[in-house]
Formats: sequence, C-alpha cells, structure tokens
Amino acid sequence: MEGCYSARTMENLGNLEALMKLSLSGDKNAYAELLRESSRFLRPFLAKRLASASEVDDVLQETLISIHKARHTYDGNRPYKPWAYAISTFRLQDYFRMHYADQLHHAVDLSEMENNLQDPVTKSDFTYESISGEVQKLPVKQADILRMLHQEGYTAKEVAEKIGMTESAVKVSAHRAYKVLRKKLER
Amino acid sequence: MDSIDDLIQNLSSEAAAIKQAPRPLMLSLGWIAAASVFLTVSLWVSGVRSDVMQKFYEPWFDIELGCLLMIFLATTVSAAVLAFPDLYQKKILALSPLGFFLLFVVVLFYSWRADSPPAPFPVHSFECTCSITLFSFLPAVWTFYSMRKYASTHYRWAGSIALLSAFSMGAIWLRLHEVNDSVTHVIEWHYLPMLGIGLVGWWLGGRVLKW
Repeated sequence: MEGCYSARTMENLGNLEALMKLSLSGDKNAYAELLRESSRFLRPFLAKRLASASEVDDVLQETLISIHKARHTYDGNRPYKPWAYAISTFRLQDYFRMHYADQLHHAVDLSEMENNLQDPVTKSDFTYESISGEVQKLPVKQADILRMLHQEGYTAKEVAEKIGMTESAVKVSAHRAYKVLRKKLER
Repeated sequence: MDSIDDLIQNLSSEAAAIKQAPRPLMLSLGWIAAASVFLTVSLWVSGVRSDVMQKFYEPWFDIELGCLLMIFLATTVSAAVLAFPDLYQKKILALSPLGFFLLFVVVLFYSWRADSPPAPFPVHSFECTCSITLFSFLPAVWTFYSMRKYASTHYRWAGSIALLSAFSMGAIWLRLHEVNDSVTHVIEWHYLPMLGIGLVGWWLGGRVLKW
C-alpha cells in the first residue's frame, strides 16, 4: 500500500502541498506519506545540529507530533517545507533549552557534591539491612541505587551502566538519598 | 527508525477531515471588529470627552490618534500572523508594528514640542494607566484565548504584541474619553506604560501560548 501510494504521489500529486491538502481532508495514506516525506527532509536538517542519532530521533518524533498538532494552521496555499522547518526549528530550540537547563542543574549538583565525591559511596555509617524500611520510602530510583550499591554489592560505575545513568549522576542520587536517610535517622 | 515508523502509523491513523484555521487577515479582521464594538460600547457607557469635536480640529491630536489606530491595526495583524508556526510566511507583517511605534515616538516628540506653553497637568496620574489596563483586560483575554487555538512558534513575541494591541485600543478609548490636553501627562501615564505592558506580554506569552 505504501509503495503503491508513493508511486501515485510521484505521478499524480507531485508535491507536499497537495499531500497535505489530501491529509487535511482525512486521507490517511496521504498523511502517512506526508509524514514520511517530512521525516526524510527533516532528518538531515536535525542531524546537522545534533550530536547523536538518538537525539535526532527524539527531536524528529517531537517535530512529527507537533506537525500533527498544528496541521490545522496549514492551508495548502503556501509552501509546506518552510512551515515544517519552522516547527522543527521550534522543537529543536525547545530541546536545546531543556538540554542546557538539565546540564546546568547537573553542574549545580556536582558543585554541591564537590567535596563528597571523593568519598566512596559504597561505604556508610549504617548497614543496608538496618535501614531497609526507610530505604523503601525513598523515590524508586534512589531506592534501587542504594539496593544495588549496598545489598547487591555493585560499584557506582556498574550501577550507572545497569540503569543507564552517568556514574556521577548515580553518586549524586546516592548522596541525596543518604542526606534524606540521615535526617530521618537523626530524629 | 522503527519508532519513527510506528509514530507515523499512529499519527496517520488519527487523520480525519479537520477544520482549517482562518487566514491571518480574516483572524485579525475578527479581532478588529470585536475590539471596535467593545470600544464603541465602552465610549457609549463611559461617555466621550466633552470637547471632542474641538479636539478633532487640532492636527497633533488627529495625528496622535491616527498613529494609535495604526499601531492597533498593525499589532492586531501581527498577532494574527504570529499565531502561525511559520508566521504565514509573511514576516514583514509580523514586524510591521515596529515601524508604527517608531513613527509614534516621532509624533509624540513633535506633539510635545508643540505643547507650548504646556497645558496644565490633570490632578490624577497613575489612574490613567490603571484605566487603560482595565479596559484592555477583556480584549487581551479574548485575543490570548483565540491564539491558544493556533500554534505560535514565537509565543513570547506573540504575547507581547497581543497585549500591546489590546493596550493600544485602551489608549484610544482613554484619549477619546478623558478631557486632558497635557501631552507630558499622556506620554508619562498613557504611552510609556506600553513598555511595561510589552514585557508583561512577553512573560505571559511564555506561560499561556507555549504548546
């Protein structure tokens, strides 16, 4: 069906504007073809501006969802590509904003932990078993990290690999959990 | 790649005939018509200044009002264009208020110079800013509400222009309602607050028009 529609597109429709007009009238195949064509020309645009393929995929997904949400603002009477690029640029800027905000947040965390990071996170003043009840009350991720570090004996690096975080993020998370536990135990 | 294909399948399965958004010109005409009705009703309720006919014979007053009207029209069209992700590919319309604001500054300067000897200050001051803000509230809410149905990729800019559009209509209303000839007062309490309103709109756009 897809191949058939692509051929028809090439022969009869010829351009993205016509595909969008059909999509707006409810033609599902035209819409699928339009989104495929859009991802074809947007992918290189995003790849030039982003470092990894996974980032490109993420922003491309966001862009396609945004095209879907905003499709009522396109009437088929003006070129389609500038409209799609405008949405893609918007989502790309959003992504950069979030990405850098996240990095900044992370940098603040690291500066907070600067003195503590030298300490081994697997050593603490209490045993895991003695406080396991309190650990269960922590956020799931923090509890998992503490369980892996203290009950299962993984190193911070191994935990990081297992749960897909960076080693320093694992250490930060562990220290946050210690802080909470210490406060609770001191009461 | 698979996830993109899955997403395309999902999105295309939701395809249905949808109502297209009106063109920016039609959209702005709707806003202008509604604002004109609101202005007429407000002037009818609050009353027109008693010396209005006499004021219409003063060229600087006419030029000032004309400029305000142009600012209102330009900001309304600009807000409508800014509601579209690609500015309806008419960036010049989105930027058009800048020219009118510059012209307005020049007009106010000459108007201020022509106000010699200066007309006496009215006894009130900030009340004018408050009145304009109150008048602008409903048109601003309505414009923001309409713009939320679109997909602005310049939401801060759009918010700023939308609020300036409502505020300029408020400024026209007060100029036609209040008996006041002091250009200095008008600049200080009617027009300078526009700078603050623009900033509030910038902030509000980020909160309300982001999608």
